[in-house]
Amino acid sequence: MSVLIILIAASILVATGFLVAFIWSVKSGQYDDDYTPSVRILFDDKPAPSSEKTSLKPKQK
Amino acid sequence: MEEIVFKKDRKKRVAQQCYHCGETCDITIESDEKYFCCDGCKFVYQLLQENGLCNYYELSEKPGIRVKGKFSTERFAYLENEEVKKKLLRFNDGKQCQVSFYLPQMHCASCIWLLENLHTIQPGILYSKTNFQRKEISIAFNAGEISLRKLVELLAFVGYEPYISLKDGEKKLPNKINRKKFYKIGVAGFCFSNIMMLSFPEYFSAGKIEQQSLEKLFSFLNLTLALPVFFYCSSGFFISAWKGLRQKWLNIDAPIALAILVTFGRSVYEILSNTGSGYLDSMSGIVFFMLVGRWFQDKTYDSFSFDRDYKSYFPLGVTILKNGKEETATISGLQKGDRILVRQNEMIPGDAVILKGEGKIDYSFVSGEVTPVQKKKGELVYAGGKQIGGMIEMEILNPVEQSYITQLWNNNDAFSEQKNQDKSFVHPWSRYFTLLLFIIAGCTALYWAANDVSKLLPAVTAALIVACPCSLLLSATFTFGNMLRHFGKNKFYLKNSSVIESLSKINTIVFDKTGTLTHPAEALINYEGVILTDDEKNLVYSLTKESIHPLSRIIHNELLLNFQVSPLTVSDFKEISGKGITGNIDNHWIKMGSWQFVCDDESITEISGGGMVLLSIDNKYKGVFRISNQYRPGLKPMIQKLSEKKYELHVLSGDNDSEKENLENIFGEKVIIKFQQSPQDKLDYIARLKKNDYDVEIVMLGDGLNDAGALKRSDVGIAVTENTSQFSPASDAIMDGSVVNKLSNFIKYAKAGKRIIVWSFIISILYNVVGLSFAIQAKLSPIVAAVLMPVSSITIVVFVTLASTYMAKRKGL
Amino acid sequence: MQQLEKFQYDNKIVRNFAFATIIWGVVGMLVGLWIALQLVFPTALNIQPLFSFGRLRPLHTNAVIFAFVGNGIFMGVYYSLQRLLKTRMASDALSKIHFWGWQAIIVAAAITLPLGITTSKEYAELEWPIDIAITIIWVVFGWNLFATILKRREKHLYVAIWFYIATFVTIAVLHLVNSFELPVSLFKSYSWYAGVQDALVQWWYGHNAVAFFLTTPYLGMMYYYLPKAANRPVYSYKLSIIHFWSLIFLYIWAGPHHLLYTALPNWAQTLGIVFSFTLIFPSWGGMINGLLTLRGAWDKVREDVILKFMVVAVTAYGMATFEGPMLSLKTISAVSHYTDWIVAHVHVGGLGWNGMLTFGILYWLIPRIFKTELFSKRLANFHFWIATLGIIFYAVPMYWAGFQQASMWKQFTDAGQLKYQFLETVTYMKPFYAMRAFGGFLFLTGAIVMMYNLFMTVKKGSLVANEDAEAPALEKIDSKHAGEHWHRRIERKPVQFLIVTLIVILIGGIVELVPTFLIKSNVPTISSVKPYTPLELQGRDIYTREGCYTCHSQMIRPFRSETERYGEYSKAGEFVYDHPFQWGSKRTGPDLAREGTANLKKSDAWHLNHLDDPQAISPGTVMPGYSFMLDKLLDTASTPAKINAMRTLGVPYEKGYEYRANKDLMEQANKISANLLKDSIRVLPNAEVIAIIAYLQRLGTDIEKNKIVETKNK
Repeated sequence: MSVLIILIAASILVATGFLVAFIWSVKSGQYDDDYTPSVRILFDDKPAPSSEKTSLKPKQK
Repeated sequence: MEEIVFKKDRKKRVAQQCYHCGETCDITIESDEKYFCCDGCKFVYQLLQENGLCNYYELSEKPGIRVKGKFSTERFAYLENEEVKKKLLRFNDGKQCQVSFYLPQMHCASCIWLLENLHTIQPGILYSKTNFQRKEISIAFNAGEISLRKLVELLAFVGYEPYISLKDGEKKLPNKINRKKFYKIGVAGFCFSNIMMLSFPEYFSAGKIEQQSLEKLFSFLNLTLALPVFFYCSSGFFISAWKGLRQKWLNIDAPIALAILVTFGRSVYEILSNTGSGYLDSMSGIVFFMLVGRWFQDKTYDSFSFDRDYKSYFPLGVTILKNGKEETATISGLQKGDRILVRQNEMIPGDAVILKGEGKIDYSFVSGEVTPVQKKKGELVYAGGKQIGGMIEMEILNPVEQSYITQLWNNNDAFSEQKNQDKSFVHPWSRYFTLLLFIIAGCTALYWAANDVSKLLPAVTAALIVACPCSLLLSATFTFGNMLRHFGKNKFYLKNSSVIESLSKINTIVFDKTGTLTHPAEALINYEGVILTDDEKNLVYSLTKESIHPLSRIIHNELLLNFQVSPLTVSDFKEISGKGITGNIDNHWIKMGSWQFVCDDESITEISGGGMVLLSIDNKYKGVFRISNQYRPGLKPMIQKLSEKKYELHVLSGDNDSEKENLENIFGEKVIIKFQQSPQDKLDYIARLKKNDYDVEIVMLGDGLNDAGALKRSDVGIAVTENTSQFSPASDAIMDGSVVNKLSNFIKYAKAGKRIIVWSFIISILYNVVGLSFAIQAKLSPIVAAVLMPVSSITIVVFVTLASTYMAKRKGL
Repeated sequence: MQQLEKFQYDNKIVRNFAFATIIWGVVGMLVGLWIALQLVFPTALNIQPLFSFGRLRPLHTNAVIFAFVGNGIFMGVYYSLQRLLKTRMASDALSKIHFWGWQAIIVAAAITLPLGITTSKEYAELEWPIDIAITIIWVVFGWNLFATILKRREKHLYVAIWFYIATFVTIAVLHLVNSFELPVSLFKSYSWYAGVQDALVQWWYGHNAVAFFLTTPYLGMMYYYLPKAANRPVYSYKLSIIHFWSLIFLYIWAGPHHLLYTALPNWAQTLGIVFSFTLIFPSWGGMINGLLTLRGAWDKVREDVILKFMVVAVTAYGMATFEGPMLSLKTISAVSHYTDWIVAHVHVGGLGWNGMLTFGILYWLIPRIFKTELFSKRLANFHFWIATLGIIFYAVPMYWAGFQQASMWKQFTDAGQLKYQFLETVTYMKPFYAMRAFGGFLFLTGAIVMMYNLFMTVKKGSLVANEDAEAPALEKIDSKHAGEHWHRRIERKPVQFLIVTLIVILIGGIVELVPTFLIKSNVPTISSVKPYTPLELQGRDIYTREGCYTCHSQMIRPFRSETERYGEYSKAGEFVYDHPFQWGSKRTGPDLAREGTANLKKSDAWHLNHLDDPQAISPGTVMPGYSFMLDKLLDTASTPAKINAMRTLGVPYEKGYEYRANKDLMEQANKISANLLKDSIRVLPNAEVIAIIAYLQRLGTDIEKNKIVETKNK
């Protein structure tokens, strides 16, 4: 069953690839926050109608 | 006797709701067909609308946070202070800065959306990212375009005022989430599944594979895959075992480490010497399972912190007067003799004497005393009180570090240390286990030495391998892990699993009154006397609106919620502290307050006692509002259950004894109930209990700073809070006010947990017996080991998970 | 000094893939319906040679998997990826190449398959030139995918994206490993592996194709479109992360369960079983996560047709992923394998999971990118109900048929004789086949209604080819590494990741070369097993060309019921010269592994007549006639090339045999035609029918010659 060697090699390689990916994703803090992203996808990032942004000033005092 | 309100049909009248914050409001400000409770809310709405952020209102119902009163930015002045900036900014390269804040108000999708779109409102903000669970926001902004202060003001303005406390002052390193365990689990999982895969040929072709070459290849691949498991993933067990040995005691990790070591060693030998294929699958299996177990156990509640010290209660900045000029400084920088300004709703940053202005100090948080106390010029005021009157000027006597309130922490940090430290009953147990294990191994060795030396090593190693107490470890970790979740589901959040064990031991329960047994906000109002007309109610409403006295507030809210009000303007309003309030509303003189104050003529027989507000209109006595604390529902049955269960109960109240009889009819006579307890008294009381009899195990329930010392001193300190994002004193557990009445169930459940673990021990021992019986006969084939270990582990895990879930149901959680 | 960045999402490419999905979907289902009807009216609908069942069935599977679902995936990915990463696709050019390239491949498939140009490997029938095209286009897709990830504005990679990445990487590797073949001519190649090995590779691929083409990308899409449609976050994002990683580590090994009780080594089978079985946990984790997302929103589901589609889809996924592991258990496989049960199983997955989810997404997506409302909610509802009904009408009869088939095959009389002739089991199936066709018809109707509904929607609205969006550039400061320069860090990570994946694929490719060295160290050979004669070889190629494997297995499992019916169970050693293997996976017709052996032996004349007009020989059979083979002449020119190719693959034809091959071929052919003449049938010796008869007569005979050797080797 020599072909098994190929299959095993292929499988392990793929798995290893994903292991690396896993480690990367943990390392880069992908999963530090495991809730907010699921909410974030619900928002559409439509551009806001540009308007004068002075409104803040008067209320400051 | 007529009740203004029947508790059950509160909110029966749906008053006009604010489009922004959804709060019921009397006077409504209108702006494009939408109603607002206050200008604040309206402004925020307009701001969002101008920036096309009205999506905020679509994402969830009435998401806004009430903008309380009029918006003063004065209190953020200290953010201009360079020193403060340095302390707060997590990154600053001159133009770009990054800062992160804790925003307790964050509560829904809309919040996330608005907060992450700040950059559209305010140029200069580069991006803002929230972490909902931690209620944190991290903002990068361009210092050139917007100052830190403006940023915080913006946040505060839209309703998310960051909570900046003295604690933030300390250069805390960005909270490092421990990622090691995830790497380990990942690696172990990967190696485990692949080793399993490669071990199959071994098992299912009766140890013979068609091709020798394949067989060799497989074993060597296994070996390579096992290396990281042994050297990396299982390092934790070795370390802790070694630490244990250094302290001359065998913890649970010792036998585990031993087992791993032996398994690995023997496997390596077998593979290299070509005598077999080893037990690597079993080894990686158990390591993987145990790592998962550990991870499962340490469930953390991101959004609360259990060990706050006094620093989290005090603001970071304060306004000081240097030769007449106002300056901002950090509290930590305060010196004895400094002169400071304290504005309305600011906290007194240290023990001080009032120099100018009149202090109306609310100590409820420090002492539990609800009614604010009047402080005149020259009087001493303690740190931690909140000024609810106007601005006052004062001179510092003791900076916060030496202040009275701080002593509470410092003088008992001593015992807070050794609390909940590895006193887990799993560990002593494991000592016997290990001993037994060695004895068995020894006997096996002797036996084979006598009969067949060749089998000696295999037998002994095998014995050590199968007897690995991984399932014991798993039983504890998974049970506690699952229990923590169930507690959490019931709004009872434990600091860590060892609290469960302490909880299961307790035999004495101490309650604080205000905020723990009673609702801090709600109160029960009875009105006795002449029935009031709507106009009269309106008068009362308008008058009480002016006062900040808690009793006035209570009456005011009742009326607001339960009857159509239309506030009127009050002329020459007077509030005489300790007596009452009076004012003129379209030519009616209204007086509310104590008997002496209201009824100047002796016509009405004296009525006195806590929580009494008499009312007279145009000097005609109308009646009296009796305001009594609102006890949490279901308290009485729970207390009875507890006393039946022979728990020793105590009540310590910082408040006056106006509630004595109510408490007594809940607790019964024999229970010790103490009033006017200062924080120190409470602490001492607990200490005394502990001293008098050593095996008393105390659980203390309290809210507020005033209980902090006691909470720390007791074996299990439970901080009761109305909403968990609010600040609760240092404690082992945080409990939502609504579930105080479940206390007895919680304790029962904790005890049940202990039993579950004992059962699971028995199961795992059975497995070990089976395994050993193979092992000592030197008949342990890899497959038996490989089957036995995962199977035993899995059974244990399944068993404890099911059992603890079932128990939760049975204990009514 | 960066500020808010404005950019545009590319909706055009999404629209293109969406339209392709709809069109190919209808086409694929149409073909499906057609072949379903062919089993009901075998003679009437048999348009040979181009549209006979054996050639259309691969067309159906390829059309629905790679054209319908494939385009569906790309539609879903191209829409969600841009929004999840807050950036436009990296390169519009690559997007275009990807789109048109993929459509070209589909067209090529639609042409070649009816022409009988096939490798006869299920779900990988396309011949080598198309295989290469697929590889290229797939790389284009991957390139676009990773480049987009590189220029993203959102740091976090949402779980859906991980599923997309997994899809790309694994499909690449699977495709490379499985379509490793040796070209003979432009339109003909032989699989590099033989017999058992070929089978193992094929089903390792076959299963994972299902896993990573029909499942992972759709899970990714579920995690994006379900929350979007319901406007609430997924039930547990943590769970979804665990779901992904555990799935990834397990799926790759489930393959061998397709070969239980075959000549595949026992442990390899068990391996497959265990891993397949373990799969139930992550799969159900995903399903539960999907359904719980709608907890407390069932009222929404009641009115929102899109959610209805999705709910049914997720439920179907749950059913299929529960059934799968069960089917992979030996005891159940023993019954279900080769029967119509499996057909039911895959269609629950295909129609339910892939179909319904795709529909749901289309209804959600088209109005959005065309900035309008759906043309008719009522039609959509109608579609939903008729589609659901269609699934039921399809699955139930097929399940029933499956059980019946199995039991009839296995029943014995008290005398110990097989109770039923195979033909009886075939005729028994007919009503079920009819009902199945009806179910398929309903489902197709639904699809057509959707086509109309969406067409009207599109006409109503106008495409927002480039949708405006704005987002802050990816954060410039990372407080933890404040010292380091930001964009290096942000960029490096995906780059490393891209490199890693590429290396993985590369090595995967290199590893393929290993067999050329190992191919000889092979399964236990049986000395009596000899290479095919040139004529048989040609016959075998006709057998594969006509897709006989779609109805006839060549693998007798070691059960009494099978050995009684077909003879000695199959041994690994018998297939060492089979490039590619022809074990098949379905027994609409009887097994042919021992067609030539004594107890099954039929005269050449029988075979000829049977091929000419099956119904005349075995009344009620559903086998299509192949009368064209009687006149069509064998292309003997290809013989030498084929012999050479076979030799390269390790088949021991001695040197220079290719020159003598056609002489031997004609000799054998003449014998057969002479033989037929006895029954007063005259056909030219070089008619194709002669070749295929020769092959059929050879099947399984080797082993008879000497049992002794074989038992020693087994």
